Amino acid sequence: MAERTSSGFGRLLITVYGIFALSATARAGVQIATRFSEAPLPYLLSALAGVVYILATIGLARRGPGARRLAWGAVGFELAGVLIVGALSVFDAGDFPDDTVWSAFGRGYGFIPLVLPLVGLWWLWRTRPR
Amino acid sequence: MIDALVLVVVAALAALAVFGLVTTVINRPPDRWTRLAVAGVVGLLVVQAVIAAVRVFSGVALPETSTFLIYLVVSVCVLPIATQFATAEPTRWGGAVIAAGAVGTAVAVVRLQGLWDAAGG
Repeated sequence: MAERTSSGFGRLLITVYGIFALSATARAGVQIATRFSEAPLPYLLSALAGVVYILATIGLARRGPGARRLAWGAVGFELAGVLIVGALSVFDAGDFPDDTVWSAFGRGYGFIPLVLPLVGLWWLWRTRPR
Repeated sequence: MIDALVLVVVAALAALAVFGLVTTVINRPPDRWTRLAVAGVVGLLVVQAVIAAVRVFSGVALPETSTFLIYLVVSVCVLPIATQFATAEPTRWGGAVIAAGAVGTAVAVVRLQGLWDAAGG
């Protein structure tokens, strides 16, 4: 029987994911609505990050194997995203004139975007069905 | 925004975060005192949001009004939602959930102050 991902420490994890889902989505929404042409790639990446955070929040908060697969996928994608976008934004700053939540490995957000997926994967592994 | 009130709000949020983390460390679920502390802090946030909103709508020009207003709403809503989520399951982690909400709210308040200062308000 699998432990629930939404119990105990999982509640703290879901809260942090929820806050990032809210802030990344809202930020991307304002950027795309008000000045999309200035930096379309970073703004679209911000929106993508927001969607990934929303999916991770839902996957962690809900029960069942489907939700668990969703959480694995979203958190895994998030780790890949922060590593790839982080590396690109450091080595090829020209393509990233405006910050995304994943720029420079999430430095603008206290590196939480880098640590969060690692903690998320650890928590999914710890609560895995066995 | 009023500088002195911003200081009080951020200090209250920091105190709430520490309080929440302490209840997690000493293995206590959120209790009546936690709810009272949250209610007090949310009260301060509401006062600040009302003052700021009135000043925006009565003519203080900001470079990013929509962003400012979104942050204003976020600054008031996050803690009640986090507290609801924290107390729905009474474990030690409830306090940490409230602490996360308090830190997120503090970041929003600092951003608000930054946007306000950018306007020279």
